Amino acid sequence: MLNVRLFDLTTLLFGVASVNYVAALYGKKETIARIGTWVCIAAAIVSTAAIGVRWAESYKMGIGRIPVTNLYESLVFFAWSVNLFYLAVEWKYKSRTFGAFVMPIAFGTMLFALTNESSIQPLVPALQSYWLHAHVITCFVGYAGFAVSAGVAVMFLMKAKREERKVTGGVVGRFPSTKVLDDLVYKAIVWGFPFLTAGIITGAAWANYAWGTYWSWDPKETWSLIVWLVYAAFLHARVTRGWHGRRAAILSIIGFLATIFCYLGVNLVLSGLHSYGGA
Amino acid sequence: MADAKHAESLMDRVWKFFTSLKLAIFVIIFLAIASIIGTVIEQNQPLEKYRQIYTDGTIRLFEKLSLFDMYHSWWFLLLLVLFTVNLICCTVDRLPRVVRIVRNPKTTLDENLEKSLGFVDRWKKKGELAALAETYRAAMGGAFARPRVTENSGTFHLYAEKGVASRFGVYVTHISIIIIFLGAIVGNVLGFKGYANIVEGESVRRIPTRGGTNHVDLGFSVRCNKFWVEYYPNGQPKEYASDLSVIENGREVLRKTIEVNDPLQYKGVWFYQASYGPAGASTVTVTVSNPDGGQRETISLSPGRHAEISGYGKISAVDYRPDFQGLGPALLVVLEKPGTQPAQFWLLKAFPEFDRQRKDTRYLSFAGLNEIFFTGLQVARDPGVNIVWLGCALMVIGIIIAFFLSHQRLWIRLSRGGDGRVEVVLAGSTNKNRLAFEKKFEKIQGDMKAVKP
Ligand code: HEM
Repeated sequence: MLNVRLFDLTTLLFGVASVNYVAALYGKKETIARIGTWVCIAAAIVSTAAIGVRWAESYKMGIGRIPVTNLYESLVFFAWSVNLFYLAVEWKYKSRTFGAFVMPIAFGTMLFALTNESSIQPLVPALQSYWLHAHVITCFVGYAGFAVSAGVAVMFLMKAKREERKVTGGVVGRFPSTKVLDDLVYKAIVWGFPFLTAGIITGAAWANYAWGTYWSWDPKETWSLIVWLVYAAFLHARVTRGWHGRRAAILSIIGFLATIFCYLGVNLVLSGLHSYGGA
Repeated sequence: MADAKHAESLMDRVWKFFTSLKLAIFVIIFLAIASIIGTVIEQNQPLEKYRQIYTDGTIRLFEKLSLFDMYHSWWFLLLLVLFTVNLICCTVDRLPRVVRIVRNPKTTLDENLEKSLGFVDRWKKKGELAALAETYRAAMGGAFARPRVTENSGTFHLYAEKGVASRFGVYVTHISIIIIFLGAIVGNVLGFKGYANIVEGESVRRIPTRGGTNHVDLGFSVRCNKFWVEYYPNGQPKEYASDLSVIENGREVLRKTIEVNDPLQYKGVWFYQASYGPAGASTVTVTVSNPDGGQRETISLSPGRHAEISGYGKISAVDYRPDFQGLGPALLVVLEKPGTQPAQFWLLKAFPEFDRQRKDTRYLSFAGLNEIFFTGLQVARDPGVNIVWLGCALMVIGIIIAFFLSHQRLWIRLSRGGDGRVEVVLAGSTNKNRLAFEKKFEKIQGDMKAVKP
């Protein structure tokens, strides 16, 4: 199918962008990083087109639905969100060093997506709902924010360690200041958290409309709550107990690990109502 | 007296405990950990299932700790209560202070305030004090927000603020959590959740609630007129639906076809399409024809029964395949004619003339399967659900306010300096998002310095 070819191309572009950003970091060549940016933009266009094509193709097959309903599609959508999120950050903060830490997440996600069934499958009746679209989209935009935050948190930890040892220069020397990094770790969560909140709420609304219960402590639901609680703890620790810097960065990384578990681990390890289980 | 003092300090300490954020973070993390346990140990499974996984000793221990129905255990509820009390106390403790700050803003920039602010700049300007105050008032309105002006023994103070709502976002968020809990409690106390399996053509009025020990009388009944399933080409169910009627006082008052994700609602009770299944035995229809094209007879067969075809023999249906070797639906029948061995053969729905090949006095055709289903409905009444949605809406709004607005304040003080020029002090503060405010402040600094009297 054309959409899968386009997603393969997207994967390739994410790979090229990741290599560019890393190479630019080590080679200290801004031109290479600038090419990385253009590759990211190209990837954004190609992947957006791919999502559109997949959508159209599903209609042609008589299935007709937005492509966010199985593991393959959600991974692709997640990578798409991370890429856009990253481009926004790069543009806002005028630094391309983030790319070396964020784009590999998008690239890895697409590589993992390749190992999954990519054909368009019909939907079981429970998944045929507009709430599903709102639910998946809000959740994954939230996850993308957390991914960016965790990537930057890693940068922060590297930079903070260097500064402690009073080492300057080198790759890490080209990172933005710890102040900027710390702020971005927080900012990305500030963007991710409302989306996750909305994601949990739309999920509850959908469950209520389909089954008559907005909350049933199904493992997936519960894990999304756990992720939400971890970030709530992060926010409170930061505002009121002054947890900045190192501890905040570590909490951001823990939060993202919980997110990954919520997304993949629950289906691979635990059982539940969600549709990605069989994939 | 000492006692009273002691008691007061104890009260203080209890209050401190319940208003502390340490407790909040502890409870939040503990809730998260407890929730993890609840997903690792499968909840509300039959005992046999646990026996396969755990030893008897472990099962007894887990039962004592209510780990098999953890989310309804006393200690989990206690945790939720602690969380709520903490949240309420925190709000009661802080909200009045915030209201005070907002209602009585510090509109004059004195020395102490100036020292406490992160953004301060000063410069001198030639000109007349009152006229300059007027100029700055206009400039500040353009660059930031319209200021309030106060004059205090020859010193002019200008004060402007933006994003006051930001102070309340947190409280909206927190109160929304309490509203959601309230909605959940209302739903649990005043509502019910049950299920009903209705065979096509039948109706129910009493609904067994979840757990199965109690019943709820709806005060009206629901009839399933018809149930059907549609399939994708690959055989997977695409949609299933029930044609339902609500019957009250002997009259049909409402009729609707429900599907998964499209429920029916009557008098606050919702009926959701949840499942379906075969309702006992289905029947098959077989037609018996004369090869000359003459007389024709239609008979209905139920499993395990046979039917007599007068002047021919006995026939029974023994097997049915929805798709027999790619030829579509097929029925395996056994035919017993007097004085011969029973014969067993397939009839294909797609080829009604197929049985002519036996070259007998009659041939049989398979006209179709009459499946009888029951429709599985979830039935729920939840008067708290709208309270929950209200809470959810407030939560999103509160979070957005808390995160994306900031309470920014700006002061200008104008006073006559010793050298006859006017001394201008500009100061600013924000309750969050310092980096963004820093840029803004720099711009305002530039604008204010460039002001022409
Ligand atoms: C999991 C549920 C909770 C959520 C979603 C939540 C949400 C929030 C949010 C969004 C903020 C603003 C953070 C920021 O500006 O970066 C906040 C701040 C705060 N929260 Fe919570 N909260 C929760 C539970 C609690 C609890 C149980 C308490 C009990 C004491 C509490 C006390 C506070 C306090 C004191 C602040 C700081 C207010 C300030 O800036 O002055 N929160 N909360």
